[in-house]
Amino acid sequence: MMTNIAEITEMTENYKAKTGNQTIIESKMLCRHFGQGDTLVKALSDANLTIEKGEFTAIIGPSGSGKSTLLQLIGGLDSPTSGEVFLDNKNISHMTGTELSDFRRDHIGFIFQAYNLIPVLSAKENIEYIMLLQGISASERKKRVAMIMHAVGLEGLEDRRPAQLSGGQQQRVAVARAMVSKPSIILADEPTANLDSKTGADLLDMMKDLNEKQKMTFVFSTHDPKIMERAKRIIRLVDGRIVDDERRG
Amino acid sequence: MTNHSKQRIAQQNDDEVLTLSSNGLVSQLAKRSIFRNTRRTLLTVLLISCSLAAILFTDSFVRGMVGSMIKISTQTFLGEGQIHQQGFRATNDIDLYIRNDELLYKKLDSIKEITAYAPRVISGAMTSSSENVASAIVYGVDAIKEAQVSKLKQAMVSGTYLSGIEGEILLGDRLADLLEVTLGDRLVVTVSEANGGDLSQALFRVSGLFSFNERNMDNGMAFVNLSQSQKLLNIEGVHEIALRLEELNQADDKSLSFWKELNTEQLETLSWQELVPQLSSMLAMTKYSTLIVSVIMYILVSLGLINTMFMSIFERQTEFGILLAIGTRPKQLFLQIILEGLFIGILSVIAGLLLAFIFCYWGSVTGIDYSDIEMTGMTLNEPIYLILDVFSFAQMGIATLGIIVIACLYPAMHAARLQPSFAMRKTL
Repeated sequence: MMTNIAEITEMTENYKAKTGNQTIIESKMLCRHFGQGDTLVKALSDANLTIEKGEFTAIIGPSGSGKSTLLQLIGGLDSPTSGEVFLDNKNISHMTGTELSDFRRDHIGFIFQAYNLIPVLSAKENIEYIMLLQGISASERKKRVAMIMHAVGLEGLEDRRPAQLSGGQQQRVAVARAMVSKPSIILADEPTANLDSKTGADLLDMMKDLNEKQKMTFVFSTHDPKIMERAKRIIRLVDGRIVDDERRG
Repeated sequence: MTNHSKQRIAQQNDDEVLTLSSNGLVSQLAKRSIFRNTRRTLLTVLLISCSLAAILFTDSFVRGMVGSMIKISTQTFLGEGQIHQQGFRATNDIDLYIRNDELLYKKLDSIKEITAYAPRVISGAMTSSSENVASAIVYGVDAIKEAQVSKLKQAMVSGTYLSGIEGEILLGDRLADLLEVTLGDRLVVTVSEANGGDLSQALFRVSGLFSFNERNMDNGMAFVNLSQSQKLLNIEGVHEIALRLEELNQADDKSLSFWKELNTEQLETLSWQELVPQLSSMLAMTKYSTLIVSVIMYILVSLGLINTMFMSIFERQTEFGILLAIGTRPKQLFLQIILEGLFIGILSVIAGLLLAFIFCYWGSVTGIDYSDIEMTGMTLNEPIYLILDVFSFAQMGIATLGIIVIACLYPAMHAARLQPSFAMRKTL
């Protein structure tokens, strides 16, 4: 296994040297263990990972392999048992709750499997919410909301509450919410898992388009072959360890 | 058009599209969240408002009851204050009577706080009818002045009130039963004369019967004309002067000059609280009992609210995880929960105050019939009229809001401390 880690680290360094890309995420010997003694579960062990700006990366692996845990740790939603995470060259492993909240607000967009929109807010307000947290002016918010609603094809549905939208529409709102704050990276946890294949494919095409045109960085955790097909990089996890890191094109 | 106007119109146009504002983001979320589960919110509001209404009703009732008891105690016979010769109250010695009473009356007439006064001569007596013998306290009273201070005249159940004619005697109805006499029957009163102790007797004819609805008074009191009583005891003065004051609270206010003027080397003037300290203590205890009821109610309200808030938080745990994940600060989430509680509290307090006002107002107009019920030796011979106290309403309303905010602290801290990954464990 140590050979694998060394190989992956070397491959990454070589790639960086060759492309001159800017590192956006870096994890060093990242571990996340749950429980203790006989009930100790090593959800993630010694994960060394570097993700460059503009990558469209899929983290794959069987259920329980640690995909979501890795995504949670690099998104600052969980604290590692050991190891460190650097996001935009900032060590987020030791940040306080408020620092992490501010950091997530300004640097990370999240897309969740179950959409997870705020039920008491309309589609438009769900998108606007994060900009309010960022203190963006009303006119700028208005402009961005209109633009992003158009980009994700939700014009005319602005005032609907999540319960009045289909799954696909809700996930589009979630994508719009993740993008509207102009984050450095978007982390998506199985974003197509609850969608039918056509809706899922459309959504992926939209995200791929954003990745290519706006150089927005996407990291997915997924089982979906459609995402794997479109991904430029596939990181494979087994039993909490990164066992493979494949770059395409 | 000025720049300011243009900016305002632009802002209005913005508001047409954007319904959230950065200023009240947390409060807007809180407001919308409390109506997500309308039934639960309404049940919580109902619980808090009914509790608040119950506390205020109890408070108003106790105020009314205390007021009634004071009123019964002071207006029935006691007066708001009494003047005695120094030492009389401690010894009940009939030799200790107020001399120069005429001078004192002039002084009392000049004190504006004293609206009426009733001089009394008091003697322990043996009353004998043709059928029976009973001990009684015989009061010699000035018929006109007594009627201005006590309710003796209103308490008459048969016969006529004192008219000043010699030989008249009024008996309590129970005493009359004991002596087996009725109107017009003859009665011999035997007393000890003052300053010597010789027995003195006089024949009276029962001219009226009274009932104060108070066992001790109806069993053991008789009233005769003041002059005859003085003659019987062979004194030129009175033992007691009952005072009626302009306002009840003047009895508490010892800073008023008349209290000093009427307390001299010879005279002892006391307020009703000092005359019947057991009643004052009992009333103080009644206030404590209201406090205890309030505390119990508030504990129940707090527990109910904590339960509601926790149910709401556990239901929305994933949502809180999302809010934290997308950049909401823990303290903003904390504030949101506090505001949710506060909004529920405001609704509850408004409903509770309204409910309490309706019931208390009804109780203050119609009264609650407690007549003929004896409490601590005192019969409430009229309905208890609830007393609405605006200050108490405001105080309880604010206290309820305060308790609600305190009760929400723990759920709010719980929500603010949530780890986003734990809160959203079903997803990312």
